[in-house]
Amino acid sequence: MRASPQNIHAVTPEIVLEFLAHTLPFNELDTDTLRNLANSCLIDFFPKGTVIFRQGQTQVRYFHLIQKGGVKIYLKDEDGTVTLKDFRGEGEYFGALPIIQGTNVANLNVETVEDTFCFLFPREAFLSLIQSCPKVTHYFLRSLSEKLVKTAYAQLRQHKIAPRTENALFLFSAQVGDIVRGAPRAIAGSDSVRMAAARMVELHIGSLLVHDQEKKIVGIITDRDLRTKVVAAGLDYQTPVSRIMATPLKTIPSHKVCFDAMLQMMRLSIHHLAVEQQGTITGVITTHDIMILQGTSPLFLFREIVAQRTIEGLYPLARKIPAVIRTLIEEGAKANNITRMITVLNDHLLDRLLTLLVAELGPPPLPFCWLVMGSEGRREQTFITDQDNALLYAEPESEAQGELAAAYFKILGEKAIDHLIGCGYPPCPGEIMASNPKWRQPVSGWRGYFDHWLRNPEPLEVMHSAIFFDFRAGYGDATLAENLRQYLVRNVPQQEIFLLHLAQNALEARPPLSFFHNLIVEKDGEHKNSLDLKKKGIAPFVDFARLFALKHGIPENNTLGRLQILHEDGHLSRELYSETVKAYEFLMQLRLVHQLRMIEQQHPPDNHLNPADLSELEKQTLKEAFEVVRRLQSHIRQEYRLGEG
Amino acid sequence: MPFSSLSRLFRPALPMFAENKRYFKSLDQFQPVEEYEFVVFDTELTGLHERQDEIVSIGAVRIKRLQILAGETFYAQVKPEKPLPKNSTLVHRITPQQLETAPPLAEVLPSFIDYCGKALLVGHFVDLDSAFLNRACRRLFGSPLHNPCVDTLRLAQIHMERFGAPYRNKIDAGPSYNLTELSRQYGLPSFVPHDALQDALQTAYLFLFLIKKFQGEGYRTLREIFRAGHGARWAL
Repeated sequence: MRASPQNIHAVTPEIVLEFLAHTLPFNELDTDTLRNLANSCLIDFFPKGTVIFRQGQTQVRYFHLIQKGGVKIYLKDEDGTVTLKDFRGEGEYFGALPIIQGTNVANLNVETVEDTFCFLFPREAFLSLIQSCPKVTHYFLRSLSEKLVKTAYAQLRQHKIAPRTENALFLFSAQVGDIVRGAPRAIAGSDSVRMAAARMVELHIGSLLVHDQEKKIVGIITDRDLRTKVVAAGLDYQTPVSRIMATPLKTIPSHKVCFDAMLQMMRLSIHHLAVEQQGTITGVITTHDIMILQGTSPLFLFREIVAQRTIEGLYPLARKIPAVIRTLIEEGAKANNITRMITVLNDHLLDRLLTLLVAELGPPPLPFCWLVMGSEGRREQTFITDQDNALLYAEPESEAQGELAAAYFKILGEKAIDHLIGCGYPPCPGEIMASNPKWRQPVSGWRGYFDHWLRNPEPLEVMHSAIFFDFRAGYGDATLAENLRQYLVRNVPQQEIFLLHLAQNALEARPPLSFFHNLIVEKDGEHKNSLDLKKKGIAPFVDFARLFALKHGIPENNTLGRLQILHEDGHLSRELYSETVKAYEFLMQLRLVHQLRMIEQQHPPDNHLNPADLSELEKQTLKEAFEVVRRLQSHIRQEYRLGEG
Repeated sequence: MPFSSLSRLFRPALPMFAENKRYFKSLDQFQPVEEYEFVVFDTELTGLHERQDEIVSIGAVRIKRLQILAGETFYAQVKPEKPLPKNSTLVHRITPQQLETAPPLAEVLPSFIDYCGKALLVGHFVDLDSAFLNRACRRLFGSPLHNPCVDTLRLAQIHMERFGAPYRNKIDAGPSYNLTELSRQYGLPSFVPHDALQDALQTAYLFLFLIKKFQGEGYRTLREIFRAGHGARWAL
């Protein structure tokens, strides 16, 4: 514009420039940005008593900065009651919130209390300023107060999750066939009630189906029947079951939803229903099962997991984790607490599963430790994520013992993986699981692997091995894992070349911001118009924290934990640390809400977010988070003297 | 129009002059004030004698929908034909050295005329500035500017006649119509005086202030505002 001959005489008015240069946060801007902003400025005059914004009516097209004069800001409710919110004077502003939030409609009334001159900056100019200058963004996000950030989280909580009707979502969606646990257990009608009671104790169940001589199911006997009809009535324990059983058997088709089952049981005042699929009884459903389904408190689920006596009984419990998490998100829990809760639940589930499995297989020939890696290792799991696990066992003292151990852990590994799949944890596509013989090793085997990665680093191998460095003990003898960790803490910091590869690896995921700070989405393919939150958003933080934790010999696994120690040890400035934590937590939150929504829409959860589904504020915050990624990566570049690749 | 065709023999008038003349002849004076575009301008001079003194700088700002467009200002220094008198430097602080490299008025004026376009011109005691401008235009292009001019001094007079002097002035002996003094009395943001662009901005602020005050009293069009005073003198 300045080059065109008509405008050689154009000059930026000093008045605006100078005013901006002395006004927060514009005084942070560089001269060119300031000049552009000043050039977009309109100067307006509002005589005393002018209503500039009318709440809910005025289209806000300009950010207003008061040059001289003053305004009052107030709310008016339906009854016409006026609540005065604020007075703003010279150097203060109004109109930022509707623009940042993208509503573009005045949220409050603004009226001049003096003759007032304002500098007006068009909406687009203000937004592009916010997009290009993190300091300005921070200023407004901060000065629009915690409240606004809370609004962002509230939006995440409320708008993104479909309202749940009476806490009963699963009652209406889960079919009775889905929650039946294990095959039906039956006893002959001619067997004694004593035998029935013994069988129930053995199986840890509260009811048995009763079959006749043709093995046809004819009735049901419950522990309540034993109490009321046998013990309390003083009946002989040798009485045949057929005398006290409830018959005919009440059944429900397996495709009915749980809500129907609940209604039927309430109507009949019974606690058990046989589930029937094409004429065959496939199991029994109880009021207790329905209650579990409704229960969404983590503690309740936790107790259920710990109390499980069969591995199969854990399957439906694992699938309830999303419902529990949903409650937490609704209650406003932050992502960090949520992932920790998911981790605790998963850990207990794994613990229970392996305890039951070891009980089934008999004691192991050598102490072992089940290692969990990747996000599970870092205690950062969101909803069901792929399995990443391995098995570490004590060094065999003889070849024979080694063979025995290999054979035992083969069965343990394979069975455990099958059960985990049964619980709904998808297998790892890269076969990084304890079912793979490569990842079932004694201590020497694992040290060998790590030595190999550290001493002969190949870029591709470094990339693939990164998740192994996030291992922790999931079950079994934790000292085995701790010793291995200490071995790494001692050895990794000297491995300059390995760390260099790791650093390069951490720079792979470029922040999806265009030159003009717009979000870049996938142009085509399955995930067109979406943005990979995990790869582009979460991973750079994880990679950054892992790189520097390993470099400085920090044994911590959790990303936030690593960042905190890095900060405390003086490897990360307070400012960058706090920005990083905020950005990372926001991204995790965004991912959790996105995944929860997918689960509730009956889609498998993924990490592909469409920015168009976000509010302006969320988009803004997301961009800011990616801006932090940019800073982290330039920190890595400086540290390792790596250029822009 | 024999006179203008005669002068065209000596110096061809820019086609824009004729076009502007037609345009402003048929200008609708009954539109609300915010519908017009204004250019508020000020000139710095070597002195006040129309026949011997010259323009040394021009500053101007544009107003659309009664808002000042801060990014569309105009400022140019002009190299006078005669040496710069010392006493004028004392007023506007432009030194002869500064003007050494400035273009002559013949080069500056066309871009200023272009900048003004179809806008109404606004100035404080605008007769003086427009006299200098028009003299130069006649001499260089054979035609004066046809853009109607609005005088903020006149507006201020009308305003005071109708609504009284600003409170701040009431204890003083009498009203002052000096730009800086008026701005101070009305409580406007103040600018450095005797710089063409700063004075133009100061005038623009005064103009916005007065026009909006008139609007608040129910005077919606320029014509109504001038009727409020007695004279309707608003075109040259």
